[in-house]
Amino acid sequence: MTAITDNISIVKGELKKRYNRLIGTSATNLCTHCGWCIDACHVYLATKDPSKSPVAKAEEVRKVLKREHDWLSKIFPFWTGAEDLTEDKLDDWLNAAFRDCTLCERCVINCPMGVETPQLLGMARGALSAIEKSPEILYDLADMAIEKENYLAENGAGFYKSISKLEPIVQEKLNDPTARIPLQEEADILYVPLSGAHTIVPAAIILNAAGASWTMSMFEASNYGLFLADTARAKKIAYRIIKEAKKLNVKEIVVTECGHAYGVLKWEAPKWFGDEFNIKVRSILEVYDDFLKKGLISIKHKLPEVVTYHDPCNMGRKGGIFEEPRNVIKASSEKYVDLIPSKVENYCCGAGAGMVAADEWRDQRILYGKVKADQIKESRATKVITACDNCLHQIKELNEEYNLDITTSNVSEHLAESII
Amino acid sequence: MPWERGTRSGSPGKGVLRAYGSIFMPWSMESSRKHGWRWLAFGLYHVGALVAIVNTFTLPFTPQLMTENVKLLFAILIAPSVLIGLIKLINRIVKPELRHISTFDDYFSLIALEVWLFFAVMVLLIDTPFWRAWYFIITAFFLFYVPFSKISHYIYFFFAHILTGWRYGYRGIIPQKSPQS
Repeated sequence: MTAITDNISIVKGELKKRYNRLIGTSATNLCTHCGWCIDACHVYLATKDPSKSPVAKAEEVRKVLKREHDWLSKIFPFWTGAEDLTEDKLDDWLNAAFRDCTLCERCVINCPMGVETPQLLGMARGALSAIEKSPEILYDLADMAIEKENYLAENGAGFYKSISKLEPIVQEKLNDPTARIPLQEEADILYVPLSGAHTIVPAAIILNAAGASWTMSMFEASNYGLFLADTARAKKIAYRIIKEAKKLNVKEIVVTECGHAYGVLKWEAPKWFGDEFNIKVRSILEVYDDFLKKGLISIKHKLPEVVTYHDPCNMGRKGGIFEEPRNVIKASSEKYVDLIPSKVENYCCGAGAGMVAADEWRDQRILYGKVKADQIKESRATKVITACDNCLHQIKELNEEYNLDITTSNVSEHLAESII
Repeated sequence: MPWERGTRSGSPGKGVLRAYGSIFMPWSMESSRKHGWRWLAFGLYHVGALVAIVNTFTLPFTPQLMTENVKLLFAILIAPSVLIGLIKLINRIVKPELRHISTFDDYFSLIALEVWLFFAVMVLLIDTPFWRAWYFIITAFFLFYVPFSKISHYIYFFFAHILTGWRYGYRGIIPQKSPQS
């Protein structure tokens, strides 16, 4: 009983801490339960379950916030559906905020009132994270990233060794023995990859081909603190990169093809760190587009597949990167088709906001990806390119589960193949 | 809530304008583009409600303006919202996805508005003491009830669109930044 009380009181404290103008507006009677958001949601479309619509999921959190903040709900909770926070309610929040919502914001852009459902569910994520009720894997991944900094002194040599094994591949592909993957050197660009050669080798090929002044980060871009809505963890993970960028005196940080990592460094970190973080941030997609426009790289052969591009939510609808990847892909492909709908209206792949890491929800993730799978089928594309590792992983699995008969890649791999 | 501080990619002002304007541009949102009749009903319902509110001022305070023609015009503008309100109520009861999220306040607000809009039409067409008295009694009730109910959404609407529109505009999402920028 004591534990329950403790959890509830911690969650209430978190809710109070996180309650701001944006949350407050969306937690009130701004939502009229009109239902316009319902069929904008890929989770609802895949399940047709009324409890999985954006408004229904938001309502799980709103009910509790109304009980605390809304006059009528304080006196007559039954009238507005307001509810007290209970341990059972926290279980409902776990499903609504983590399992059944990828925070893609498609509901927001389809709401006539401007209700920010993902903000409410993000708040629930943060509150659940404070009592360690969020998916364990997300804590593990976030904490591993934080720990990496502490062990860098002893593990750094191993990382150098791993990277040195990749350098000959870059040299061979470019037929240039001087091509390098510089690590922690002073340069104009600090490129922050993910862990995995597929975000290092193709980018290195392109950056070398363009003659860019660049160096690679010792840290990976991904930030699972964001998925936990745990600002303290997220800040620690982001700060490793900021410190490194300052130490190396770079002009800009360039983030690899990772939707949430771009969102963290481009949009969130400046809010967290204020004037302390005054370094320009770009996505590698913007850099590639720039290289092509300035003639720093040239396409040697256009790739023959019918190609389409999946806009990662964090990159597109939440980040504003729409045309740059298309410019790059169109320049390097024989035939390009857009998914319908796409850009700001694109459907989430179903694996966003950490969903891809939670193995226990794989079945749901594949089901929620059905809308994306249908979209891909209708496009008749033979190759799907995306600029986010989570999306890429999901689309690969959707390919197998829904027999899409496609190949997949990130933008870097596609572009690198066309310039060598 | 900290405002955006990353390097600006678009225009926050345009984002706010677009957020306010989106409801008047049914092609700009999938939810209105795909459900044209729903958007039209939404528009007519709110026009009716707005005219009924205006009527609560003009009828008692500027009777000289309320000629028979003006009254007829007001009644014609309000009447569709009575029908639409009824359809909205039926939808809320019949459709599982709407029933699931509906509260007493949703049903009560809809029914109360339905009655009020009906009385607004009647007072404009048959201005007897009965219709007039009840129209203003219900109006007085709304003055008390609206701040506590979902009907207060029209106040929050203005704040929400500043917050949301600012972010989307700032980041160059809506409206989308130009490809060259």
